[in-house]
Amino acid sequence: MIIAAFLAFGALLAAWLTAPAERHRPAEVTPQPMVELAAEAQAA
Amino acid sequence: MGTIDSGDTAWLLVSTALVMLMTPGLALFYGGLVRRKNVLSTIMHSFFILALVSVTWVLWGYSLAFGPDAGLGLIGRLDWLGLEGVGPAPSATYAPSVPHLAFVAFQMMFAVITPALITGAFAERKRFKAFVLFSVAWSTLVYAPIAHWVWSPDGWLSHLGILDFAGGTVVHLASGVAALVAALMVGRRMGLLESATEPHDVPMTLLGAGLLWFGWFGFNAGSALGANGVAAVALVTTNTAAAMAALTWVTLSWLHRGSPSVIGAAVGAVAGLVAITPAAGFVTPAGAILIGSGVGVVCYGASLLRLRSRVDDALDVFAVHGVGGAFGALATGVFATVAVNPAGRDGLLGGNAAQVGIQLLGITAVAAYSAAATAGILLLVNLVVRIRVPREAEEAGLDVAQHGEIAYQS
Repeated sequence: MIIAAFLAFGALLAAWLTAPAERHRPAEVTPQPMVELAAEAQAA
Repeated sequence: MGTIDSGDTAWLLVSTALVMLMTPGLALFYGGLVRRKNVLSTIMHSFFILALVSVTWVLWGYSLAFGPDAGLGLIGRLDWLGLEGVGPAPSATYAPSVPHLAFVAFQMMFAVITPALITGAFAERKRFKAFVLFSVAWSTLVYAPIAHWVWSPDGWLSHLGILDFAGGTVVHLASGVAALVAALMVGRRMGLLESATEPHDVPMTLLGAGLLWFGWFGFNAGSALGANGVAAVALVTTNTAAAMAALTWVTLSWLHRGSPSVIGAAVGAVAGLVAITPAAGFVTPAGAILIGSGVGVVCYGASLLRLRSRVDDALDVFAVHGVGGAFGALATGVFATVAVNPAGRDGLLGGNAAQVGIQLLGITAVAAYSAAATAGILLLVNLVVRIRVPREAEEAGLDVAQHGEIAYQS
């Protein structure tokens, strides 16, 4: 049971190590989405 | 092995829940202090650690911190890996009137909030992935050994007679020093020297401070490990020191800047809570007033010095937790009295000047180890994944860049 528990956590750790560091590539990261959302909210 | 006392057990379980609430409270406290583009990432740091350390504590953290000594009083053995052999019966070593698992859970919440405190230092610029790896490593390699030194009966500082009722050194000094090291190594936020960063939601910070104050009753009074007179002393001294430090900080800001700062009231209360933490069950309410007053002055000065130094410890973790924790630990050596707690020791004012020396040794050892180990961990993590987010991500804000979400629609 304890070994299985360690394996379950180890799987998470492995996933974190291999996961991308950013959700977006740097070029895609701009404040634009927030600006657009704010404009939409004001229009509404 | 002791017999379970229902009153003690009930109080410790309730205290565990109170301390658990401190971490979301810390998330709001920090979240309000950052810019709106980083509020989710800041809150996520604390919330994620609540889940992360809850699991690592069960798997190996508790055994390293509180397990039978591996030798020299430095760290626990792995006998209780996965909490094997730890159950509803009381421990022969810790809190003999409550189930061992209740003690495990109570200590778990301390282990959770300690690395969460550090996150205020690198807010608005640390990569989430690096934060996760750092938090696992820090709670394992820094928190667990220091907790063993101070709170295990076999710990080397415990053997020397250090007084730390609820974690002035283990929790606050260790995390405060780590925060300073992290701030230095991660570097300043972009544009900090050109323009100031204003807190985006002061009411959120006040709400967080209120939750911290509320939860701190469990943190300190719960550390009596029983529903008894020492718990009552700790609760009163905790509230008194928080109140006095808040009053002091607000007064200083009023005199210094011309207005009574609202954020100052919140930060001052937290500084008072930090300083009374090592002393709560060892000093009188009058002693708590002096400790609260003193830490208000000292931490206010430390935060001003930090501003002048240009070290970007973004949310003043070192000035409040590092300096406040050291001040409280030292003050414990001055004001402690066995009249309040026969299981404690007298301090300087009780004729035991040597206690101040023991407290100083403990402060030095904890600060030095935390600084060195934190620096080592950050260097290693940086080899796996860059600690700092790219410039574009910092400009856009970590909420979008790291989590793909935003906090506010308008």
